[in-house]
Amino acid sequence: MLDLAQNTMDGIAAGSAYALLAIGFTLIFGVMRRLNIAFGPSIMVGVFLGAWVNAQWSAGLIGATIATFAGALVASIYVERLSFAAIRGDAALASMASSFALWMQLEQGVALAFPGRTTAFPTLPPLLDVQFVGLILHGDDILVLTVAGIALFLLHRLIYRSHFGLEMRALADSAEAAAVSRVNTKRVAFLTFCLAALIGAVAGLLIAATDGQVSPKFGLWATIKGLVAMMIGGLGSLRGALLGGLALGIVEAQAQWYLGAAAREIVVFGLLFLCLIALPGGLAGMRETGAERKL
Amino acid sequence: MLTLENLSKHFGGVRAVDGVTLTIREGEIFGLIGPNGSGKSTTVNLITGLYTPTTGTVTLDGWDLTAMPQHARTSRGVARTFQNIRLFGNLTVAQNLWVAQNGHEQRREHFLSRWFKPGGEHGASVDELLQFSRLYSKRDVLAGNLSFGEMRRLEMARALASNPRVLLLDEPAAGASQEDGQLLAERIRAVRDRGVTVLLIEHMMELVMGITDRIAVLNFGQKIAEGTPREIQDDPQVRAAYLGSGHDEKMERASA
Repeated sequence: MLDLAQNTMDGIAAGSAYALLAIGFTLIFGVMRRLNIAFGPSIMVGVFLGAWVNAQWSAGLIGATIATFAGALVASIYVERLSFAAIRGDAALASMASSFALWMQLEQGVALAFPGRTTAFPTLPPLLDVQFVGLILHGDDILVLTVAGIALFLLHRLIYRSHFGLEMRALADSAEAAAVSRVNTKRVAFLTFCLAALIGAVAGLLIAATDGQVSPKFGLWATIKGLVAMMIGGLGSLRGALLGGLALGIVEAQAQWYLGAAAREIVVFGLLFLCLIALPGGLAGMRETGAERKL
Repeated sequence: MLTLENLSKHFGGVRAVDGVTLTIREGEIFGLIGPNGSGKSTTVNLITGLYTPTTGTVTLDGWDLTAMPQHARTSRGVARTFQNIRLFGNLTVAQNLWVAQNGHEQRREHFLSRWFKPGGEHGASVDELLQFSRLYSKRDVLAGNLSFGEMRRLEMARALASNPRVLLLDEPAAGASQEDGQLLAERIRAVRDRGVTVLLIEHMMELVMGITDRIAVLNFGQKIAEGTPREIQDDPQVRAAYLGSGHDEKMERASA
């Protein structure tokens, strides 16, 4: 019982980073009705830039953080211009296919620029573990949860309490109506892409700083985690992305503890399979009309 | 006021709109009619900017709109409704209007907003528009949960929230009964009395003949007639265009 609770706690910390990745996917999918599978690799570019800045000038975590945000933003804008802004809105498949091409390009570019492949990333400042009723909350996890919580709070305020957020939600509901309601649809779509990049960069930063290193395969990993969490939660729903991310983190932690690392992926994809069959709208999808619209 | 000059839109070999020239005067209710496929909806899409014209220009109060994107035209004063209603179904009724208002009133209620939107001219207040559209009691209901009639009224209210000079109504009577048609006529007049010029695209002849000041008729993308409802009903070319298309009978009834 204690193990179960401990695993759940560890899982929530990992899951909060997955949730941020899923939210990044969801923002882009919700507003554009298109999937950006180069999302993970764009973040990976940012994290590598952070690692490089740190190695070059001993910039530490703060310098690496700034470089990570800048790198993820620039890489995302590159993807947006080539795979989304340049391709008409009704050609969703063309955008996805070309974002796959850019994924390969970004991954190979980083692999060539960093022949050592795996590169050190500055770690989180050490924080004491907290113990209560036999459970251990790790210092790293406290930081991860705090940062993810702040990011989610700010995002929530932006989406549900600002005019820009209202325009985003309007665009997600009906692009045609938004265009004739004084919404600059191209601008809102572009800024949504940037917002997703920043949210994803927070996740990439937390994961790389916890691990203390990053490899070019991080892009693949981030895309898969984000997509799986988004699909478990429900396509196009922000609340679903949050729930899906946390569920993914918890299930992974439990599976790893009880069944071992080898079984972890089997359990995760088994869960995804079950979700797609039993809950096609995801954990939260059925309640929001936005999730009912098809790709 | 709203002027179309030699406006054309060709889709491959199809001339959906072919050299239409029209002037809509300030404060009038102008009807645009024609058989199915005559180019009415394409004309609306050219005015609002969904399509770029093959040739010709669209000007409003002397401003050339032809190269402007849709949202800029709406800011200049062109608003529209859709034949198939387009609402923000996951937003509340009031939020639907806030979007079109460009954040004038919302800013008071929410922090951060001022960072994203500069101030600007102010149209009618959301509450006033909701009362005008008999939707005030539904203020905080999600637009997707409204009845069909309420959705139509909300769509028109949202168009008015953008503070338009001219409102394009694309078949607002589609799916409405005879009695609804009467109410709709009253509401269109009320919109005009607010100082908004109305361009009405409609199949329902009784409605068009009853409330418009002037009418233009399209057929195969070309304007074949323009004039008062009386002149249009007596026009032999118009009668020929409608012959056999099922509207002839309606024309007779409307003129009787």
